[in-house]
Amino acid sequence: MKARNAVLAALVASALAPATAARGEEVGGFAVDAHVGYSELTSAKSSAKAVFGGSSGGVVYGGGLRYALRNHFYVGAWARSFAKDGERVFIADATSPVFPLGHPLEVRIVPIQATVGYRLSGARGIVPYVGAGGGLTRYHEESVVAGETESTTQTKTSWHLLAGVEVGQGRFRFATEAGYSFVPNALGLGGVSKVYGETDIGGFSFVGKAVFSFSHR
Amino acid sequence: MRRRGLRLLPLLALLFPSVVTVRASSPIRIGERAAARKPLPPYRPGEVIVQFATATEQSRAERAIREAGGWRARPSAFGQRYLVTLDAGQSVPEAVGRLRTMREVEYAEPNYTVRAAFSPNDTYYRFQWNLAQIGAPRTWEIQEGKPEVIVAVLDTGIAYEDFGPYAKAPDWGSTVFVQGFDFVNGDTHANDDESHGTHIASTIAEATNNGLGVAGLAFNCTLMPVKVLDNEGRGSFFDVAEGIDYATNFSQGGRRVRVINLSLGGSAALEVVRRAIDRAVAAGIVVVAAAGNESLGSLDYPAAFPNVIGVGAVDFFKQKAVYSNFGPDLDLVAPGGDIDQRNNADGDPDGILQQTFDPETAQRFGRYDDFAYFYFDGTSSATAHVAAAAALLISQGITDPAAVRKALESTADDLGSTGRDDDYGFGLIRPAEALKGLGLSQ
Repeated sequence: MKARNAVLAALVASALAPATAARGEEVGGFAVDAHVGYSELTSAKSSAKAVFGGSSGGVVYGGGLRYALRNHFYVGAWARSFAKDGERVFIADATSPVFPLGHPLEVRIVPIQATVGYRLSGARGIVPYVGAGGGLTRYHEESVVAGETESTTQTKTSWHLLAGVEVGQGRFRFATEAGYSFVPNALGLGGVSKVYGETDIGGFSFVGKAVFSFSHR
Repeated sequence: MRRRGLRLLPLLALLFPSVVTVRASSPIRIGERAAARKPLPPYRPGEVIVQFATATEQSRAERAIREAGGWRARPSAFGQRYLVTLDAGQSVPEAVGRLRTMREVEYAEPNYTVRAAFSPNDTYYRFQWNLAQIGAPRTWEIQEGKPEVIVAVLDTGIAYEDFGPYAKAPDWGSTVFVQGFDFVNGDTHANDDESHGTHIASTIAEATNNGLGVAGLAFNCTLMPVKVLDNEGRGSFFDVAEGIDYATNFSQGGRRVRVINLSLGGSAALEVVRRAIDRAVAAGIVVVAAAGNESLGSLDYPAAFPNVIGVGAVDFFKQKAVYSNFGPDLDLVAPGGDIDQRNNADGDPDGILQQTFDPETAQRFGRYDDFAYFYFDGTSSATAHVAAAAALLISQGITDPAAVRKALESTADDLGSTGRDDDYGFGLIRPAEALKGLGLSQ
């Protein structure tokens, strides 16, 4: 936690220092994006595979906003939605087979995050970037057993690291981005996540972005 | 394993003068009266409930409904709530998803179906406090058992067929039996000549919701009669082992025995039985046995074997029944009742009420067709509840014996000391909880 805070502090301090604009955008410029991709519940892989029939990931989509700071830094905010249907199961222990029981289950995860990033120098029209940040992640689970609905909703503090490459020089650009999120203590008190001892709903994600820049250079 | 039996008929005859001993001549009529329950879909196709924020104008709400794929909306008389009928071909989950993204929508959800909690119409169901104690109505909403799940009842036989002096008990309705075996007399007609086995089998799968008699917990499962006890309720462990192996090796059209009910026991830990049980469990069969009725601090065998779910009994108050054996091998408890008590306000003894024939008539006159509903108590009856619960779990999809055991243990009502203890094991079974299984986080 201390190391993470130190990195964030250094990024923020550097961004506030007088220097040149973020690469590809003027200081004070905005960009928005819409993105779609794949997200995986890497930290709860066993639990997810159990209730989702062998898959631990699925489609994620969302959008974001970016504001260019000095010295190639930027700040941004984004939100995504991950929803996946599965079914309730039974497992005796972490090494036992999974028995699907046919009761429908839906999981929806919505992270709302703020990012501090740095746009690296690259070839013409190609700008790699890295970032880190935090925010809140809402977790909702709902299942129906013979007409009775059981649901739980909770919101947890979360963190993320990301890296990507933006391509293009005009107002319209494209980017690909990989990230990893941490949502500790979101699971593990019940259900299959308790059996597997998995407590984090975070994981790997990979998205493609369509970016529109309001001010470019 | 039966502790004592008490006939219901004389007591009920006072309350219901028309009630007479149920004769074996009535099964056809029973079948005609049986009412089938059809499963409901989880929600109504093409219907979505949506609640708009209070300040939402009607025109905006109508536009939102149209955008979500609705073509008609029935307003609630109590606020901005609508029952939306979707255009043909519109998916309910997709429409709900679209509505949930709209700012003016407070919530949107499928119009899930409901029905009255299932309460069987069997005449004397209200005397079955034991089924209420383990949440049977909710259990049946989830699972009523599947015919392909066969429960072998190793006992005094079952009154399952009209054969010679034997008669089929009247409240079997559409309950299916597969070919069993009589290891006492060495033939294929495992008829009951004592009454215990019929009572036990009735707890497991007596016809339910057929307007007659009482209910069984796993009433759509199939029964196999295996006679290993004689007309005095006695037998040998050799025959018990033979019966277990018979059940283990049985196969009919791909169907196999999935549960063995052993409402019997003795003090000897014989290798012949232990190995037969191990073979059964290895073949995917759940083996359940009675703890014994001597109020001892150790369980009878085979209940005490590690591969067996050893079952003790509780009374109406969920207290350990006075007769129930206990000890470190006890896994679970279930209703066994106590016919010396009358605490449940129905005016009758607090035993387990099921159909069987009058054992006195059988002993005195050699007749096995004097059927009625009797209160028994004992760990035998408790065992039948657990065997039935196991059959329901297997019907739901939990097919491994170890998983069935774990599901029952982990969802049991933890009675007595916290955690497993020697009086209640892991606690009182709650089959509905076990059938729900596990979500990701709940």
